[in-house]
Amino acid sequence: MLSPPSAPGIPGYNDYRAPTEADARAALNRVFGLERGAEHWSLACREAGLSAGGVNGPEPLARVIHALAAQGGPSKAVARSIEIRMRTYTRLAAKSLALSDGGQG
Amino acid sequence: MTEHDPIYDADRLAEIVELDLLDAEVDPILQDVASRAAAGLGLPVSLVSVVLDEALHVAASHGIDGLWLGETGGHPVEWSFCATSVRTRDAFVVENAETHPYHKTNPLVVQDGVRCYAGVPMISSRGFVLGNLCVVGLEQRTFAEDDMVFLRSMAAEAVARIEERRES
Repeated sequence: MLSPPSAPGIPGYNDYRAPTEADARAALNRVFGLERGAEHWSLACREAGLSAGGVNGPEPLARVIHALAAQGGPSKAVARSIEIRMRTYTRLAAKSLALSDGGQG
Repeated sequence: MTEHDPIYDADRLAEIVELDLLDAEVDPILQDVASRAAAGLGLPVSLVSVVLDEALHVAASHGIDGLWLGETGGHPVEWSFCATSVRTRDAFVVENAETHPYHKTNPLVVQDGVRCYAGVPMISSRGFVLGNLCVVGLEQRTFAEDDMVFLRSMAAEAVARIEERRES
């Protein structure tokens, strides 16, 4: 999955990176195909008050993913996938930081 | 992975959603199945896993409270042992993950200490592989045919419970 250079990878977890808008769109494309995937993403962005291509950072992405889940059907499964990937990044980044600071992970 | 990879099958994902397998509320009967599977095989962890397109979702579990997996409720699909069964529609066993060609570099093995795994696919009445009932251990071990028969019986219980949702 693609990520912007600003998203640091998690050491020891195969350089695992936070999901981005590009990742979410690619996931939808794999399930629905390019045209329908783009339609589902654009609709979710509109529902979240954002524009496709302008979803930058974890908080806006989380809003769009929430809207994507509300579409139901396979979109809900894709949304849950991205949500899990976001939560995994957040949790493992915190664990990594705690270990680098000498604390408990 | 190709466009025909069942991991990305929209109909399979729709089935998972229709069966309410992504609900945050954990079904106590599925939880009980997971606990009995772990106890029956003497292993610390068991999951009723749902394999999504990009992640594994934990629908019920035993032994992950206090672990990061217990907090996230799943992990990226590329780290998933269970995803293999979605593609093969058959059980998947790893007796020593440290020497497995794919999983020896899996962070769950390298960082979190997973050493053995056995999973049996949960296949819906419509023929979709939803995920696996699996057991996980921190030491390598072998799984005898009796172990797999037991795991299959537990997976059948899980599927029966899941299918009840369609009828309700």
